Amino acid sequence: MSTKHSKAASAFLSNKSRAQFLNQSIWYVREKRDNVAMQLVEWEELRELSSSIKRHTVTHLDTYLEQFASRAEANGVVVHWAKDANEHNKIVYDILQQHGAKKLVKSKSMLTEECHLNNYLINKGIDVVETDLGERILQLMQVAPSHIVMPAIHLKRQQVGKLFEDKLGSESGNSDPTYLTRVARLHLRNEFMTADAGLTGANFGVAATGDVVVCTNEGNADMSTSLPPLHIVSMGIEKVIPDYRSLAVFTRLLARSATGQPSTTYTSHFRKARSGCEMHIVLVDNGRSDILGNPQHWETLKCLRCGACMNTCPVYRRSGGYSYTYFIPGPIGINLGMLRSPRVYSDNVSACSLCCSCDNVCPAKINLSEQIYFWRQGLDAIHRADPMKKIISSGLKYLYGHPALYYMGLRYAPLINRLPRNILYNRLNAWGKGRELPTFARKSFSEMWKKGIVR
Amino acid sequence: MNSKESILSNIRKNSCADYEMPDIAVKGVHYDDSLQQFIDMTKAVGGNAHVVQVGENINDLIRSYYSEAVNIVSNLPEVTIATGNPDTVVKPQDLDGTDVAVVRGELGVAENGCVWIPQAVKEKAVYFIAEYLVILLSADKIVDNMHEAYDMLRFNDYGFGTFISGPSKTADIEQALVVGAQSACGVTVFILNA
Repeated sequence: MSTKHSKAASAFLSNKSRAQFLNQSIWYVREKRDNVAMQLVEWEELRELSSSIKRHTVTHLDTYLEQFASRAEANGVVVHWAKDANEHNKIVYDILQQHGAKKLVKSKSMLTEECHLNNYLINKGIDVVETDLGERILQLMQVAPSHIVMPAIHLKRQQVGKLFEDKLGSESGNSDPTYLTRVARLHLRNEFMTADAGLTGANFGVAATGDVVVCTNEGNADMSTSLPPLHIVSMGIEKVIPDYRSLAVFTRLLARSATGQPSTTYTSHFRKARSGCEMHIVLVDNGRSDILGNPQHWETLKCLRCGACMNTCPVYRRSGGYSYTYFIPGPIGINLGMLRSPRVYSDNVSACSLCCSCDNVCPAKINLSEQIYFWRQGLDAIHRADPMKKIISSGLKYLYGHPALYYMGLRYAPLINRLPRNILYNRLNAWGKGRELPTFARKSFSEMWKKGIVR
Repeated sequence: MNSKESILSNIRKNSCADYEMPDIAVKGVHYDDSLQQFIDMTKAVGGNAHVVQVGENINDLIRSYYSEAVNIVSNLPEVTIATGNPDTVVKPQDLDGTDVAVVRGELGVAENGCVWIPQAVKEKAVYFIAEYLVILLSADKIVDNMHEAYDMLRFNDYGFGTFISGPSKTADIEQALVVGAQSACGVTVFILNA
C-alpha cells in the first residue's frame, strides 16, 4: 500500500542527520524569502498582479506567441517551433550541426531536463557542459537535480570535495566551498573559452520587444552566450509575457520567492545576436497546449519555476527531491507529473499533507494544493487508488450510515487503549506508522452531552 | 500543417477561459533617500559603492581600489588608466585575463542594487569575463524600483542589456554563499555628481 514516494522517503529519512540537514537548509531559504517579501508593503498586490497577468497571457497565448516570434524575427533571431521533446532535441542538434559545433556550454534549463536533451546530444557526439555550479556538480556525478533552483541542495560539501578531487584534480581532503567554487571557476572558464555554442533557458520572453530574459546569480548564462558565436534558447511556450510593465512585476517576485534575494545578480535581456553571430529560439510545446484545455489544471501554466512551493512544503523538506518520481519535485512537480502521465506519476499525489502552504507562497498564486486534491479524487477512475484506503473508506461509509453501530463502536473504542503495542501497531495499521494513535476517551462527547455532563 | 500552425491551432482549440489584462498600476516601494538605499542594497548584495566627491579623480579611485590590477579595460574616454579597449579586440576570448573592466551604467535601482547596463562595447563579454567590474553611474539615474526602471529602459542597436546586482555568486555547495562564481568576483559602483 506504500507509494513509491513514501518508500523512497522512508529510505531518505533513515539517515537522520542528512534528513535534518536538508530540512534546515531549505527552511533557511524559506525564511529568507519571508524576510524580503515582508519588506514590501505591495507584496500581496504583486502576487495578485502576477497571477492576473499570467492568466491573461496564458489564455491569449496564440496572440502573444505570434507577437513574440515576429518581434524576435524582426530582430534577426531565428525562431523554431517544436511540438514535443523529440522535435526540440532534433532542432537543437540540427542547428549545432549546421555550425559544426562540437562543444555546447549550457546554463540551467529545466526544459532541457524535461526533453532529455543532454543525453540526446551526447549520444550524437556533442560535448555538453553544464555551467551552473550545482548543475555541473550533478552532471559530473551523473545524477539529476533534486531541486529546480538549488539542484545540488541535498549534497554535503565533502561529497563535492571528493568529486572534484576525482574529476577536476582538486586538493585532496579540501572541501571548503570557496576553494571548490574557485576550482570550478577555473575549470568552467576553460569550457566557456573553447565552446562552439551556448544554450540557455528563458525565464521570460517579452512579446512586445522579442527579448529573452534570463536570470542567474553566477553569470553563467552570460558567459555561455558572450564567447561562442552561436546562442540557442530553449523556451517553453508558457514563458511569454506581454511587455516590460509585466516584466517589472515578475522580476520583483522571482528572486525574492526563489532564494530570498531582492534580485538575481544578472537579469539579462537578449534581443539580438552578437555582431557576426547567430541567435536561435526554440519554442517548445511538449504538452503545454493540451494543459490549456484542462479546466482544473490549466493554471499550472502560470508557474515561474521559482521553487518556493518546494521550499515551504513540509513533505518536500522531509523527503528530498529524489523521493518524487517526476523530475520536478514538490507541489508543482506533483501536478506537472500528473499532467504528463497520471498513470505513471500518480505515486506523488499522496506526498502532500494539504497544508496549503504552497498556495500562500506561490508568486503566481497557483492553487497547487487544491489541484493535488483534485488529482486524488480522480485516482480511482484511473485505477490508481490505494485498495486498502478503498476498503477503509467503504467501511467508514457504512459505519457513519448506521448510527446504532457507530455508537456501539464508540462505547467500546476505549478498549483499544489497553491493547498491547505489538497488536495495535501491526503492519496493517498504516496510520500508526511513525505516529501515535490518539487515546480514546472513556466517555464520548455525545454520551457526556446526552447525560448533561457538558453544556 | 507545420509545427507552428499545429501548436497555435491546438492552443486556440484548447483555451478554455478568457481573462483580461489587469491594469498594472502598482505603487512600487518609495525611499526618502534613494541614493542611500541604493548604496546599502549594493553592499547587501556583495558589491561596493563609492560616492565620488568633488576633487576626486575616477582614475585615481580605480587605482586605489584595485592597486594590483594590470589589465584594465574600458572604452570610456575619461578612463585614461585603461590598458585595453574592448572595441578593438578581434574576438571576445581576447578579453580573458582582464583584471578590471570599467563600464557605464544607465540606471540604478534602489530596491535591489541593480544597475542597467545596455551593451555599449563591441564584445559584451567584457561585462562578465573581467575579474572585477567597475560601474560608473550618475546619481540622478537612480530610481526606486523595477517599475520605474522598466518604464525608462533604453536599448540600442547592439540588442543586449543586463541588470547587474553585485558580483557573481553561488550558494550551490551547502548553501554557503561564495562570491565569484563564473563571472565578476567583485563589483564597485562609482556614483558620480551626487
